[in-house]
Amino acid sequence: MKNAIGEFTKGIIKENPTFVLVLGLCPTLAVSVSVANGIGMGIAATFVLLGSSLIVSLIRDFIPDKVRIPCYIVIIATFVTIAELCMKAYSPLLDRALGIYVPLIVVNCIVLGRAEAFACKNNLANSFFDGLGMGVGFTLALILISAIREFLGAGQILGHTLIKGFEPVFVFSMPSGALLVIGLLLGFFNIIKNKKS
Amino acid sequence: MNIQEFLTIFISAVFIYNVILSRFLGLCSFIAISKETKPALAMSSAVMFVIVMSSAITWFVYRFLLVPFNLTYLRTISFILVIATFVQFVEMVVRKISPQLYRAFGIYLPLITVNCAVLGVAVLNIDMFFINGKAVAGSFYYSVFQGICVGLVYTLAMLLMSGIRERLEFCNVPEALKDFPLAFIIAAILSLSFMGFNGFKF
Amino acid sequence: MKNEFLVSGSPHIHKKESISRIMWAVVISLIPTGVAGVIIFGLDALWVTLVSIVAALLTEFTFQVLTKKKITIFDGSAVITGILLAFNLPSNVPLWLPAIGAIFSIAIGKQVFGGIGQNIFNPALVGRVFLMASWPKYMTTFVKPFNYDAVTSATPLAALREGKVLEHISYLDLFLGKRGGCIGEVCILALLIGAAFLFVRGYISWHIPVTYIFTTAVFVYIFGGNKLFNGDWLFHILNGGLVLGAFFMATDYVATPLTVKGQLIFGLGCGLLTAVIRIWGGYPEGVSYAILMMNGATPFIDRYTKSRIYGTK
Repeated sequence: MKNAIGEFTKGIIKENPTFVLVLGLCPTLAVSVSVANGIGMGIAATFVLLGSSLIVSLIRDFIPDKVRIPCYIVIIATFVTIAELCMKAYSPLLDRALGIYVPLIVVNCIVLGRAEAFACKNNLANSFFDGLGMGVGFTLALILISAIREFLGAGQILGHTLIKGFEPVFVFSMPSGALLVIGLLLGFFNIIKNKKS
Repeated sequence: MNIQEFLTIFISAVFIYNVILSRFLGLCSFIAISKETKPALAMSSAVMFVIVMSSAITWFVYRFLLVPFNLTYLRTISFILVIATFVQFVEMVVRKISPQLYRAFGIYLPLITVNCAVLGVAVLNIDMFFINGKAVAGSFYYSVFQGICVGLVYTLAMLLMSGIRERLEFCNVPEALKDFPLAFIIAAILSLSFMGFNGFKF
Repeated sequence: MKNEFLVSGSPHIHKKESISRIMWAVVISLIPTGVAGVIIFGLDALWVTLVSIVAALLTEFTFQVLTKKKITIFDGSAVITGILLAFNLPSNVPLWLPAIGAIFSIAIGKQVFGGIGQNIFNPALVGRVFLMASWPKYMTTFVKPFNYDAVTSATPLAALREGKVLEHISYLDLFLGKRGGCIGEVCILALLIGAAFLFVRGYISWHIPVTYIFTTAVFVYIFGGNKLFNGDWLFHILNGGLVLGAFFMATDYVATPLTVKGQLIFGLGCGLLTAVIRIWGGYPEGVSYAILMMNGATPFIDRYTKSRIYGTK
């Protein structure tokens, strides 16, 4: 059990997929305009991660090595399609906000990366916690970035204005603002990492 | 099918919703491989080839397989399978025909399967050129053309970025910002300067 | 006289001059424009400029202290960035705007690349486009010239964009700066005096500014009017930030190509992009964006125009 907890927590800080592994940035930057979008994407991606990690781990002994990547892709794509359809049915607003980035979860390096690097070599329990941890880490990263962007770029968080009379810095709602935020955050985390060692 | 539409596609992909600096498609590989010009160029050509071909193939799959049989919800699965298979196929062929070519850019091919740009453009094509499941007149040509534009934009961006980053090798960048953070900041500045083309109207 | 040598690709020392000397010369060359700006727009222009300079100096100082590098704030380069940024702003902006802009210019436009001599992009312009994207309302509200009561008016370029012709304004008026606009861009006379000073001292060469302005003029002449070959090229040269940009920002030693051929390409590119944005783009002015884009292309241009070293391939 201790091992499993370790697998879970590593996805949050030590091997955070966004800030440490620097994976899956395309959708991260694109949807992080508002915290609501960030959470939505995070949940969808976590669902796909969990599902695919579990299945891959389950059938890992039955997949021939040569065709493993296409197999993983089919498994992941299935879960993405489920997520897509659920989103279209139950929260069409979110679906429209996230746009093409929902189907793009299929090629999100985090998902395929975890299947390839972990789930195919580990048992069900560990794979479950690894997938969950990575998903949560990803979602937290999304929340951090979109909180910064939404606050600075629109003066709000989750649609609520925090400080009256705050002049929003529009650039943060724009793509260049996203790139700026991730660049500075990565630099900031590097400083912390260097200080520690 | 009209010329105006082609122009709009081009301007949109390059200037207004720049595929990399605005839609962020292909960003991971863009940041990772743009450190030197040679690999950047190799990756770009491979990406361009895959994008154009898969734009065409996925169009056919959607038009003649998914739509008639009401299987449009299988779009994501079928498209990514098409792309993965195509890339695998190309890799095999290149390996057999020319080991030199393979060494030059065959190694990037597997990476392209997960390049958001490829699947992204395929999905964009459908969203933009199919209305309620019916293909807009000339949508095949629009789709392929959009693929070409995206490939070109990707190449241009890679070249610019690799030139800049190669030059920065001679500069004493602050330690914490080396590589990725600075690459993102450069992309941010490039994105800001491309904003000059907002509201473009011919 | 202390000589400072930088290990970087830019030979921005042509003769045995120290960087400081060149930088401060540029500062001096900008004084006529500053004076003109204050005369035309009032003391607001002075405060904006001062705030920008001070913010730039403080940012550079802080950065250099934090990264334990040598303190070089007196070499004049941060001062220039502060001045140029201010000259690209309307005079009636709230004072926190140039402050934040200057901080951004120095921190993101210069220091993250390693400091002086290593920036890819012109720092002042990096700050300007950041401000433009962040607070477009403040950046596009201009006051009437010689009207110290802050009555706003559109710039002639913006008016042209909307198809209106701003009350009859002569070329002489434009040349002297009797129009709304950014602090340092309106008085062409003052700008040319400063540029002449730099030419005479040999600190800038004619290649980039002349190619830039010429290309813009030609393109605008051909495509900028109601019919072909009908564009008002003189109007375009005397308006907007073209002269300021061509002589003082497109000539940044560090962010532009090394060879003459490269510089001509640079000037051509800037001219083309400026004209295209002015004619078909959404903004009435394209100088900052054009120069920044060409800055980005400079490493590339350098690669393919570097003169061959004798004896090698």
